Amino acid sequence: MSAVMEATAPPVATDEKRRGRAAVLALARFEARELLLQIPVALTLVFYVGYTLYGLLFPEDGMDAYPALQDVDRATQSGPSVLLGIALLVCVNRAALRSRRRGTDRHFDVLVMEPWRRTVAHALSVVPYAVGTALVVLGAFTWQALRPGAVGHGSVAELAVAPLFVLFCGVLGLLIARLFPAVFAAPVLVILLFAVSVFVSASTGDAEWSRWLSPIVSENSNETLPSDLIGRPAAWHALYLVGLVLLFVTGAVFAGHGGRRTWPVKAALAGTLVLTLTGAVGQGQGVSPELTAAREKASTHPEKDQTCVRHGRSEYCAFPEWTVRTGTWAGVVDRVQNLAGGSAAEQPLVVRQRVEARYGLDGDGTIESSTTPHQVTVGTRWGGNRIPEFASAVASALVAGDEAKGGELCDGRVVTVMWLAVGGASDPLSDFRHVRLDDSTSGSAIVLSPTSPLSMSAGQTDVVREVLSSRPRAEVTSAVKSHWDELTAPGVKTADVARVLGVEAPKEADDCVGE
Amino acid sequence: MIPTVSASGLSLRYGGTRALDDVSLRLTPGVTGLLGPNGAGKTTLLRVLATAVPADRGAFTVLGHDPSTSRGRQEVRRALGYLPQSPGFHPDFTAFEFVDYVAILKELTDRTARHREVRRVLEEVDLGDVRGRRIKKLSGGMRQRVALAAALVGDPGFLVLDEPTVGLDPEQRMRFRELIAHAGEGRTVLLSTHQTEDVAMLCHRVLVMAAGTIRFDGTPAELTERAAGRVWSSTERAPGAKAGWRTGTGTFRNVGDPPPGADLLEPTLEDGYLLTLDGAGAEVAA
Repeated sequence: MSAVMEATAPPVATDEKRRGRAAVLALARFEARELLLQIPVALTLVFYVGYTLYGLLFPEDGMDAYPALQDVDRATQSGPSVLLGIALLVCVNRAALRSRRRGTDRHFDVLVMEPWRRTVAHALSVVPYAVGTALVVLGAFTWQALRPGAVGHGSVAELAVAPLFVLFCGVLGLLIARLFPAVFAAPVLVILLFAVSVFVSASTGDAEWSRWLSPIVSENSNETLPSDLIGRPAAWHALYLVGLVLLFVTGAVFAGHGGRRTWPVKAALAGTLVLTLTGAVGQGQGVSPELTAAREKASTHPEKDQTCVRHGRSEYCAFPEWTVRTGTWAGVVDRVQNLAGGSAAEQPLVVRQRVEARYGLDGDGTIESSTTPHQVTVGTRWGGNRIPEFASAVASALVAGDEAKGGELCDGRVVTVMWLAVGGASDPLSDFRHVRLDDSTSGSAIVLSPTSPLSMSAGQTDVVREVLSSRPRAEVTSAVKSHWDELTAPGVKTADVARVLGVEAPKEADDCVGE
Repeated sequence: MIPTVSASGLSLRYGGTRALDDVSLRLTPGVTGLLGPNGAGKTTLLRVLATAVPADRGAFTVLGHDPSTSRGRQEVRRALGYLPQSPGFHPDFTAFEFVDYVAILKELTDRTARHREVRRVLEEVDLGDVRGRRIKKLSGGMRQRVALAAALVGDPGFLVLDEPTVGLDPEQRMRFRELIAHAGEGRTVLLSTHQTEDVAMLCHRVLVMAAGTIRFDGTPAELTERAAGRVWSSTERAPGAKAGWRTGTGTFRNVGDPPPGADLLEPTLEDGYLLTLDGAGAEVAA
């Protein structure tokens, strides 16, 4: 004789749990909709989505047309999503204090849903906004990634920061409401936290560990580095933010009104604290020796990491993520060389991409001019002013022989260089203006290039401007080709160059004549 | 009849004050009035029965559920509709949103069914036409009806109403009485009030509390009967009366032990209530 025992969960308890979970989700939906009706949240959400859409649908020409995805991912963390997060912090805080402020606690506390579940529902009410932020981030990133000029690789962890920040803000507002149940507490504590973070940052000399305690960590540099040289501990930081979000939610459930202090909550509190600390320790380790060595190598011996591609007579060497762009560089080189005469028109060049990666993203380091004959430096950014800057570097190398010598030009050859750099552009005067540091077309100025800049005197500026604005391109091109040796001879006077190009000579002499 | 609520020996102290002292009661379907002076323990008793505060001693069940256990407490709350004294509101919510919010807290999770139920109770309290109006735009009487709708949502078997007619004008109070009478059909309602007219008009049964104890438990007629032969009229204030006041006709209405040959009057529920309190906090303006 045998007995069969069936071990099944009590159906009532299971049904209760299911109903409890469903009620929490229903309340979360309700609260999420209420948040949307709050003016700060609605305005910042519309602004965030609108701002992002506007940026995508009406992109500015220039560098935006050639995004590096390892910068694009990080760019999603700043801007209006921060405002959305702050709005959510304030509004979730107010929503969590609503019952207390309006005296409905006495009533609601005898309803079926326990206060701690209401706290969980408040936390979940932020999730749709985090998901919305994630969709905006993903949409913006995908849009940029699909642009023809896009290069590089994005990081999922960097892309996760904006949605996590939105979650972070919402649950921080909730935690503050549970710890300090007063409406004024949230703004006061946020200001206090900001002041503390500034103090910690200042007192630790902006140390890596303290810098990364902030939910969003921006960089001082506009430099674009190869993905593997960036060295931001994005994955650790995402883990840190996830830990903080869970810690705040658990803390809110644990603390204050309706606090639930059962052992699972205590265990969750300890677990999320460990998770947060793990992330904090991981992100605060600083730059590894391997990364330092890799940055050193990329800065001083980029050829060891690069792939070279031949286009026409010249060779183009780029870091792996930029090899797709070598054809675009070749177009600019060809345009410049087509205006040149003598052997320069056929001169094979080596265009090498170079970066100053030794400081990471802490600051913008300058790249020293190359002394290798007929080697031209190209940077990691492209589009906009970077194109005439590169063209001026190509022209300098063609006229002076190498970049270093090109940066030292001060005689009439400066006019020749500038003609080669911008003379073939679709809007030469515009390029001429933009390649100059002060965006001027008169007076002396610095001409930007990927390495050392070139100086132009007021007289040289006048000559170039007049050539570009009043002389037919074909005639100038013909004159340059036929008088190439004269126009590129060391010591040639600007006045002589002006005469050859058919414009009035400047009154003042070149700065370097007679040196 | 099986009682909806059965309590025995409920006691609760707040500091040195005995708010409830060995209270036992049995509530059956219909409206039961709870009368008593301020500080008698009415609200405390309601809050204990509504599971808002636990009693120090004693026990009670609601529809057979024992709230001393976690699961029992949840079951009691599922069966409970509670309209607290001076209920709070979320003024930026519409009437519909507020009742819907309460319905969610009562774990009515099916959205369609919940919304249907919210519409039903708002219709029941005659607020169907203004359900989309924000609560801050509603009159005091309308707000009180919103609170009643919130108590009624989910069709609770036990309804606890703590002085729901306070602050309402006579017309609103009359309207509210209709609603309470309707709510008492088929469910158990415990109505705490200072208004003896409310009890006289609504309740099949009345409890009188004073100093944390139940002083009377019976029908309104029985409470009224307590004053039979103890209410009389006089031209001067009667010195031996427990309470007396000048009426609109210029004569005095006295409650207490009448002198021989006194001109006896028909007693009211209020007379019975005053005699039941017998100095335990009755406040009568002379």
